[in-house]
Amino acid sequence: MQRLLWALLALIAWSIPQAYADPVADRAVAAAKDYIKAKNLKDPKLTILLSSLYNNSFPDFAKKWEELTGVKFEIVPLGYTDIPAKIMQEGVAKTGVYDIFNDFPYTMPDAAGAKVVMPLDQYAAKYKPDFNGVADGLKYQQYYDGKLYIMVNDGDHLILVLRKDLVENPQARAEYKAKFGKDLGCPDTVDEWAQQAAFFQTKEGDTRWGIKFEKPLYGALGYRSVNFSHRHFPVYMKGLWFDKDMKPRINTPDGIAAIKAFAASVDHMPKDIQGWGTPQIYPFWGSGQAYSAMSFPSIVGFANSNPNSVIKGKQMTCLIPGQMIAGKLERRSPQAAGTGYMVSSYSKHPELAYLFVQWFTSPGVSDEAVAHPKGFWDPYRDAHVTNKAILDRFGEDMVKTTIENSKYAASLLLIEGNYEYFKILDNNLADVMNKNITAEEAAKRIEAGWNKVTSDVGRSTQIQIWRKGVELGIYLDKF
Amino acid sequence: MVEISTGVSSIPTETQTTSGALRRLGKWLASDRIFPKIPFVMVEALFFLVILVPFILTIYISLLKWRANRPFEQAFFSGLENYRAVLESDLFWFALVRTFYFSGVAVAVELVVGFVLAMLVSQCTRSRKFYTTIFLVPMMIVPIVVGYNFSMIYIDSGPLNQLLAPLLQLFGIDPRIRWLSHPIAAQWAIIIADIWQWTSLTFLIFLSGFSALPQQLVNAARVMGATPWQVFWRVQFPLLKPAIVIAVIIRSMEALKMFDPVVLLTFGGPGTSTQTVAYFLWEQVWVFNKFSFGAAASILLLIMFSILIYIGIYMLIRQRSIVVGRAA
Repeated sequence: MQRLLWALLALIAWSIPQAYADPVADRAVAAAKDYIKAKNLKDPKLTILLSSLYNNSFPDFAKKWEELTGVKFEIVPLGYTDIPAKIMQEGVAKTGVYDIFNDFPYTMPDAAGAKVVMPLDQYAAKYKPDFNGVADGLKYQQYYDGKLYIMVNDGDHLILVLRKDLVENPQARAEYKAKFGKDLGCPDTVDEWAQQAAFFQTKEGDTRWGIKFEKPLYGALGYRSVNFSHRHFPVYMKGLWFDKDMKPRINTPDGIAAIKAFAASVDHMPKDIQGWGTPQIYPFWGSGQAYSAMSFPSIVGFANSNPNSVIKGKQMTCLIPGQMIAGKLERRSPQAAGTGYMVSSYSKHPELAYLFVQWFTSPGVSDEAVAHPKGFWDPYRDAHVTNKAILDRFGEDMVKTTIENSKYAASLLLIEGNYEYFKILDNNLADVMNKNITAEEAAKRIEAGWNKVTSDVGRSTQIQIWRKGVELGIYLDKF
Repeated sequence: MVEISTGVSSIPTETQTTSGALRRLGKWLASDRIFPKIPFVMVEALFFLVILVPFILTIYISLLKWRANRPFEQAFFSGLENYRAVLESDLFWFALVRTFYFSGVAVAVELVVGFVLAMLVSQCTRSRKFYTTIFLVPMMIVPIVVGYNFSMIYIDSGPLNQLLAPLLQLFGIDPRIRWLSHPIAAQWAIIIADIWQWTSLTFLIFLSGFSALPQQLVNAARVMGATPWQVFWRVQFPLLKPAIVIAVIIRSMEALKMFDPVVLLTFGGPGTSTQTVAYFLWEQVWVFNKFSFGAAASILLLIMFSILIYIGIYMLIRQRSIVVGRAA
């Protein structure tokens, strides 16, 4: 009997690690141990410049990595707005104090151009990371100039979320159907979303569909401030921002229509929306004063778990609304904020740094990261729809929609100088939203500004990188 | 070399050689010829390392074609190209004009409010310390805290709009002012935040000015039958002019570098409506990586602001000489 018990215990002890076995992660751990042994490293250490968002969750993984390999971590947390400058400073100073940089993929082009981050292809060929089950748009955003520079474990692409209680309100449904001849539900197109936003826009004190609105109900929420507008604009733009010769497509009927639609959307948003970021948008959504929100997937979890939220269980997640292009519905969900990991060219142990990145972004470990209660990593692999811990954390509806939506995930502009392209767009969109200039004037200014940046960075290089990116499928759209 | 007699040998040891050399060095430094020059050499060395080297480096970088998204080794000489680009940049000129506008309005209000507060506090006897402490508090607060507080105050459903609502509704104005997202309101939001924090400094300067006023002149004017207004306008105010000029120069120099409230409240937006030159430079260099463009813009700004500061210092010297002349 005692033998049987011991055997059972041994079986359990063996099966627990097997259940979490992940060959990609195991390969990284084994290789890291070999590396340390081969180089005879005493007290090996890696230093990461980490987005401070992850300061409460990343240390758990750093500790686990240390337990597995003996490699300690020094974590240098910094606000995400300051990280790109810090990376570029390292490009000039070449101190080698950082081994790994954590930031958005769109920081990669300038960092790669400055040669402060290194291509990871040689290590990837040797240790074989696993990008299976990751949608094309998310997978290819890891490449710049055809080379792997960043590895991402976060699916922070935009989704649309509606107020389920309002969508399911029988009186509202009947009125909407009578007016537009269509059932209320997730809008297929941006125009339809605008139509719903206008329909639900309600003044303070009004009674509609049997509901007395003590506070105004805004039809929509979205990011319209400087440094954010460019992350939402691709939803409105039909097709690519440039043609194959890097001639901007903004000053075309498609571009002008996109600017107009983008600017018109603020009519159904809170008046101060141009000054809002996540700290304002999430609580406002949770306060129940809006019908819909286009945002990062985590907004759903926030409104379901925040103690002050009045819309717990009243959210309906939707695929990103699209555009009709040549009679076909095309959806584009910008990967607006997901972060990844780059290896510093000046690291003393770049291979060891890469091995950590492979371990951390491996299917098994990244699943744990996405499920981490204090983390900000969002679902991004197909397998997440069946992962219990992830479903428990985010809710089945949100995970399914996010993974389905990831098929439409497209990268933001991944060429050198992209922050300047973004800022030119944001500034002019702000001017149109504030009715200082017309959409046509804005389109001309954006075109001129973008052309100037292209010339300043180097037109031939930009064209070459742009074409490679489009051909790879970073933006989903093709020439 | 100092030799130490051991009675056995007169060959100096290594330690003895070092201490001897140090002694000689000390003696040389203390000599009448060298000692007076030491402070001068130290100041020059500091000036060279801290100011001259970075300044020359900035000029050098401003003459290159270099964005930091390319290695420095790929930078090449481009002459005055960056200076031309800066002077042709609309954003630069708009930011410059906006900076003068922000600093002009903010400094003017800070001077008036600071002066009035200082005048009132200087007349207090028992509560003077209390009010002085209270009015100096804003200046002591870390700018990031001030920015955060004001960002909360300025939310469209926030306390400022709640406070203004009854008044605005009387005139039929929408009480939800978009303090941080309307181009004009956002400019005033920044000016108000600056005034709140830095009126303390002008108050302090004026308070010290009032404290230093020769009381016998004021008493003499009173004895001669001057009204309180005449005492203020004919006696106190002229004597306070150097303090006023100092306040104007110090605050203007600081206000022209206005950066914290812009970043903390609006990030230069909406659009570019609250971009100051300091913000413009930061963005060009640290966001867009245009180091050589930023260096050229810095040099041009240095020249412009130096002219202004020279004029300010000239005014200060002139005022002082007038006051000294009158007192004599």
